[in-house]
Amino acid sequence: MTLSRALGYFWREAARNLARSWRASLVAVLTIGTSLAVAGAFLLLTGNLARAAAGWRSELTATVFLRDDATPEQQERVLELARAPAWARAAEMVSADTAAERFGATFSSLADVVAATTDNPFLASVEVTLDPDALEGGALAGWAARLESEPGVEFVDSDQQWLERLVEVVAFARLVGLVVGLGLVVAATFTIAFVIRLTAYLHLEEIAVMRLVGATEFYIRGPFYVEGLLQGLLGGLLALSALFSLHALALSRAADSAWLSLALGSFLPWREQVLLLLLGGFAGLFGAVASLRRESLRPAGSD
Amino acid sequence: MIDFYGVSKRFPGGQVALDDVSFHVDAGEFVFLTGPSGAGKTTFLRLIYREDTPSEGSIVVHGRSVATLPASKVPYLRRSIGVVFQSFRLIDRQTVFENVAYLPRILGTPVAEQRRMALEALGKVGLGHRMSAFPKQLSGGEQQRVAIARALVNQPDLLLADEPTGNLDPELSLEVLRMFRRVRGRGMTVVLATHDRFMIERFGGRVLSLDRGRLVEDRVVEGLEPGEPETEAEHSAAATVREANPTVREDDRGNGAPAPESPEAGPVEANVP
Repeated sequence: MTLSRALGYFWREAARNLARSWRASLVAVLTIGTSLAVAGAFLLLTGNLARAAAGWRSELTATVFLRDDATPEQQERVLELARAPAWARAAEMVSADTAAERFGATFSSLADVVAATTDNPFLASVEVTLDPDALEGGALAGWAARLESEPGVEFVDSDQQWLERLVEVVAFARLVGLVVGLGLVVAATFTIAFVIRLTAYLHLEEIAVMRLVGATEFYIRGPFYVEGLLQGLLGGLLALSALFSLHALALSRAADSAWLSLALGSFLPWREQVLLLLLGGFAGLFGAVASLRRESLRPAGSD
Repeated sequence: MIDFYGVSKRFPGGQVALDDVSFHVDAGEFVFLTGPSGAGKTTFLRLIYREDTPSEGSIVVHGRSVATLPASKVPYLRRSIGVVFQSFRLIDRQTVFENVAYLPRILGTPVAEQRRMALEALGKVGLGHRMSAFPKQLSGGEQQRVAIARALVNQPDLLLADEPTGNLDPELSLEVLRMFRRVRGRGMTVVLATHDRFMIERFGGRVLSLDRGRLVEDRVVEGLEPGEPETEAEHSAAATVREANPTVREDDRGNGAPAPESPEAGPVEANVP
């Protein structure tokens, strides 16, 4: 029999089996769907956060705040030192007055408060735009320490610390998601294996007849393998549909929360959608193959 | 076509199903396999189509050693053997056509050809008009005829039937037996297990008798119902048995049978090549 004809037969039989034992199949599909949805939710949240962190890394800045009494020479030296590393893309001096203006423009409701003060509370600073390379090998930390030891420098503020913390949190969340998701997928694989074995037991007499008339093991098992594959793929589709709906719903209600908006950002990229779908299919196929060991399809007492 | 060489089959626990059985069946022979319940008839057939393997001895079917055949080759052996069971063993969720065309289907035969083959096989058993019925919509006799059509659809060289009339009334049993005689006319070898001695006497043919796993008789019975003449093999089998085993006596119709009173009446091996 040609492979295409055999595959056609497998699909038809698998679809027929799914329809016949739809309750058990539904349980299997729901289990794998739930597992993949949980894994997918972790993937979605951590993916968005990771993308945001990557964006922030590319816009990395550091601010060297100068003392009120810093002399022009000291300011010039700080500016020079700040520009020195190759990963320092640009550095510009920002006076205390410019800083106050910017604050007033950004936080207009507080502009009056700033105007009411007799002394300018803002410090002059050197704003430095950095390449992401600055985060490698502690270069940024060394650079900041060097500048802080300069006379005329109050302190150095960079995005390094919180960015590193965010990257750590995202990596941990990914790991948790991976472990939880894979654990659930394994559990779902067992469910599929159980359902496939149940279906096979229901057809044991039929399988015996198939063997007697000369069907090969490939031909006998093929429909069950495809059934497992279908259950897994349907579970994957269910997970993606549920995630998509929940994501859209959550996004519409998360407008007030900057962090939630950030974490929900965009839906899973198509590669990850395909990955979830394939993971479901693989789990289903693996469950089917594992459940149909050679002996399991033989009636008791046969060789 | 079929050769048994010192075949024994013991099940776990020590129960002996077959004990040192040897014989030869030529291509085109019609052989009744008889004996009381538990004599080993079903095991005998199961060994031929490799549903089971012997504990000792060897079996050759179509020139292939069945017992040592790799598992991957067993389906190909079975495709050359048609098997009919007492319990029909049809697939309930498939139509008559699907049941009968199962083997052509798994062989990748085009649907139109499957249909032609199924129709031809069903025509032989008089059920060409029930192609789209499901087994449960048929009577017991019709189901058995479907099972026979399934066994015949690929025109196998060898047809095995295990108590094919066991679930049928006498009239249907006669009809089914006549069907087997007809298909044998095409050169097919038929081995039919039955404990119904009436059937054997009615139709006649070569008879292998088993008793507690031993082959105790190998003779040719002349039937009452006119059929095809005995084959040369059947004649020679009976003659050889009589020559080789002095305990075999001539019965009323001139057929050889071991004297039941003789304690030495052992397995008949005279027909073994």
